[in-house]
Amino acid sequence: MSEDRLWKFRRPEWLNSIWARNAGVYGAGGLFSLAFYILLDSAVWSKSALNGSTIHVTFVDWLPFIFSSLGMLIINSVEKARLSADSFSYSGSGVAWKARVVLFLGFAALAGGLAGGVTVFVLKFIVPGVPFPALTMGVEVMVSAMIVGLSTVILWVSQNIEDEYSYNLSL
Amino acid sequence: MPTAGLKTIIALSFVLAVGFLLVILSCALWHSYYPLLVVATYVVAPLPNWICSHCANPDDFVESSGAAVLDLGRFCTGFLVVMGIALPIVLAHSNAITIPAMVMSVIGGLLIYGTIISFAMFFQEEQEF
Repeated sequence: MSEDRLWKFRRPEWLNSIWARNAGVYGAGGLFSLAFYILLDSAVWSKSALNGSTIHVTFVDWLPFIFSSLGMLIINSVEKARLSADSFSYSGSGVAWKARVVLFLGFAALAGGLAGGVTVFVLKFIVPGVPFPALTMGVEVMVSAMIVGLSTVILWVSQNIEDEYSYNLSL
Repeated sequence: MPTAGLKTIIALSFVLAVGFLLVILSCALWHSYYPLLVVATYVVAPLPNWICSHCANPDDFVESSGAAVLDLGRFCTGFLVVMGIALPIVLAHSNAITIPAMVMSVIGGLLIYGTIISFAMFFQEEQEF
């Protein structure tokens, strides 16, 4: 295990426990929920009496979140063990290659969602010069896409911890 | 923790009653019954974990599909737990409920969920074997 290590710094030992892995998965779910409710908050606030402006949250504002979530679903559905396998080891029919393509699509959707959030924020809120209480909706659209990205990272890292754990267990 | 006797049950049911009291009071005082959704959320919250732990084969460590189902359950539970806190805040932000109602329903919801979790923790030992 120590010979084929790629990185100089090891993961700290406490991170290799089953406890840290479960906490990571719970935290990823919580962060995803936070992102969803931040976006829902902007939609609800937009239709409430507090919104004095003519700007409303439409389907366009939901699109970055939808794309980010789609990317998250794709990324975390890929089996991580197939990814590190070289094509001659045990996945003869190019499973690693397929996994990398699917993973690339997932990351593209995630990054597209992030970029879309910034685009909606700039084009719909910054360029027309929307004043502050309505500007919150744009900020929330952008922030929710970012939190989905963060949640994806945490879920990914926790699942890698899971691989280490099962490796230790199978020895 | 194995000595979870009658006192534990009484204390837990008392806390559960206080939680329900806070949530129902936060609804009834302002005649807006949205915070009852918090109760439904926290009652549903342990269910994905429970269902997925019965779907997965715990001996299946090498082929990690069993662990993936477990992770899905944990993810959904985390989602629902944060939902129980986020829902009153969303409602209060757009004036559907007032700020005191938000505070009361969040505290009441956390008490209810804490009761459910600690009940599961105290009485898990007997179900194991």
